[in-house]
Amino acid sequence: MSWKPASSVVPGSRLWGTLAFRLTAWFALAGLFLVFCATASLYLVLLTELERSTDLFLTDKLHVLRTLLRERPNDWDALREEVELESAARRYEHFYIRLLDERNTPLLTTPGMAEQLDLAHFASRTQSRPERAIPMWGRHGQAFRVTSAAAPVGSPPTQTDTIQIAIDVSHGEELLAHYRLWFWCVLLGTFAIFPLAGYQIARRGIRPVEEVAATARRISSNNLRERILPEGYPFELASLAGTFNDMLDRLEESFNRISRFSADIAHDLRTPVNNIRGEAEVALARARTIDEYRDTLESCLEEAVRLSELIGNLLFLARAESPLAHLNRERVDVAELLGGVREYYEGSAADGGISLSTTAGAEPVIAELDRTLVQRAVGNLVSNAVAHTPPGGSVVLAAKAKGATICIEVSDTGVGIPPEALPRVFDRFFRVDASRSQASGGTGLGLAIVQGIMLLHGGNAEIASRPGQGTRVTLRMPVSGSG
Amino acid sequence: MRILVIEDQAKTAKFLKKGLGEAGLVVDVAGDGLKGLHLAQELEFDLVILDVMLPSLDGWQVLTRLRQAGRQAPVLFLTARDAVHERVRGFELGADDYLVKPFAFSELLARVRSLLRRTAPPRPQECLKIADLEIDLLRQRATRAGQRLELTTKEFLLLSLLARHTGEVLSRTLIAEAVWDMNFDSDTNVVDVNVRRLRSKADDPFPLKLIRTVRGAGYVLEAGQ
Repeated sequence: MSWKPASSVVPGSRLWGTLAFRLTAWFALAGLFLVFCATASLYLVLLTELERSTDLFLTDKLHVLRTLLRERPNDWDALREEVELESAARRYEHFYIRLLDERNTPLLTTPGMAEQLDLAHFASRTQSRPERAIPMWGRHGQAFRVTSAAAPVGSPPTQTDTIQIAIDVSHGEELLAHYRLWFWCVLLGTFAIFPLAGYQIARRGIRPVEEVAATARRISSNNLRERILPEGYPFELASLAGTFNDMLDRLEESFNRISRFSADIAHDLRTPVNNIRGEAEVALARARTIDEYRDTLESCLEEAVRLSELIGNLLFLARAESPLAHLNRERVDVAELLGGVREYYEGSAADGGISLSTTAGAEPVIAELDRTLVQRAVGNLVSNAVAHTPPGGSVVLAAKAKGATICIEVSDTGVGIPPEALPRVFDRFFRVDASRSQASGGTGLGLAIVQGIMLLHGGNAEIASRPGQGTRVTLRMPVSGSG
Repeated sequence: MRILVIEDQAKTAKFLKKGLGEAGLVVDVAGDGLKGLHLAQELEFDLVILDVMLPSLDGWQVLTRLRQAGRQAPVLFLTARDAVHERVRGFELGADDYLVKPFAFSELLARVRSLLRRTAPPRPQECLKIADLEIDLLRQRATRAGQRLELTTKEFLLLSLLARHTGEVLSRTLIAEAVWDMNFDSDTNVVDVNVRRLRSKADDPFPLKLIRTVRGAGYVLEAGQ
């Protein structure tokens, strides 16, 4: 059988690399194998059934002759009729019988038997296997099944004769040959049709995948809104399309965020640059006193400082997101760190009439952190809290360890954040109240930086707030960098 | 004290020369790496201020060759990039300090002074006296016109920091770092609040005002203009 090399016949691995080709090849192989098995088993059944019916016929004949010899040992007419006439009357499946006595002298023979068969060969072949049908070729190339058996003569038997029977089964052989031809034709047809049908089926099955791919190719930053319609696809591909669409949703969201971010940067850079430019232009428009020049220069300097801080913060955020970001971890007593931050902001809090305090747990909280960065994160939170808490309120810093995680909480009794603004407070340049924050000098980057620092530490920042009651920000991070 | 500035940006070089000159230092300027290297090898400098991005030879190469030639003058790097690995590389090559653009000039001046002091013998100080202000560093006590000032620990630290650098403008960042160990430069108006509180105790009750705000730059403590 030569269909097997289907895979090795392939010119290159390129073709094997296509899904359609693989599906076709497997489909064709499986189909050929099944058809082969089916036809081969049918053929075998036919073959054994033909042999069995022939053998039954031989056994039957033997039985008849034995009965005749035993019951009527001297009725030669009956025997002759049975041996010579009955066979001659048949058109197909001629059979030949020979009766031999104890000394192997032929007593009765069907006419023409010696022409058809090599009798000596017959005797020698059947001698070793009495009463078994065995195949044998005739003198003219026809197929025979032959058998020989001993038949006791007389009742009670006084002597033993030998019966030899041969039946021409060439008709059955023709039938089988016919079947074999059909068998090859069917296999050949299968070999031609299965790959073609398989290829068509595979193409049809793959087409939706190609459509999904084509849509994916079409999508660029200019048409991120485009989606794959999930209808009309089989279940598996519909879920693929769904997954793909979800990915696009996320991409579009972050892309929008980045565009918004760029626009915000441009805006936030523009304001101080515009101030510097305008003030310098106005100052130079005519002669001024030294004090006026100084005032202008000082104002320009202030704007430049604002710009530098903005740039510094932006660079910091960019670096925090880089996979190469580097942390300078050291053992830090978190309560002590909070105490330091509290001392720094104490003056501002006192000015605003706010009580600023730290509460420490019973056990010291020690962690491996980048001291400067965590200081900065907590500082940003305290700064926000102090700025948004009215006089008489309080800001509390707390640290605790929960297993391998440490928790830093900054809570205030301030004005709070409206619920609709909460999800966006960690976004860059997001300001709850744009006009007021701008006036107080905030860049809108403070909380984004807090989150960046937490991400660097493998932790996260969470915010909870109730308008009019206060805000609580919780920083969580692992105790050590290796964990 | 003689300083070499190797900087290709003409504007930057100009204001550095002017500012450092006015602070009482002698300044030479080289416009590219090769010229800078020649100058540094020809003449004796107490400090080299080196830009990283330079034509002909970059700052790293200048520093490497300078050290190979056996010149041990302290080197202060200026750069617009501040990735940590670049900082580390600078220190590995033998730089003494590092400043990222944009920087406050007062910050640069403070660092330059500190690098120059490093080469000069340090003088132990126990008492500081500026006009009628007296600070006893050992006993942590400050008086003005003989009158004891009631200061918190941090306020005392702030006052003595300003007094030790009398006449120098100290930036808010530097103050936050030195007094509160806050090594980040955001929200520096906290420093303003603390200076204002110090003033209310150390300056406001007295006719002679010592602490002066330099707009956009920082604070300076000096006896008079």
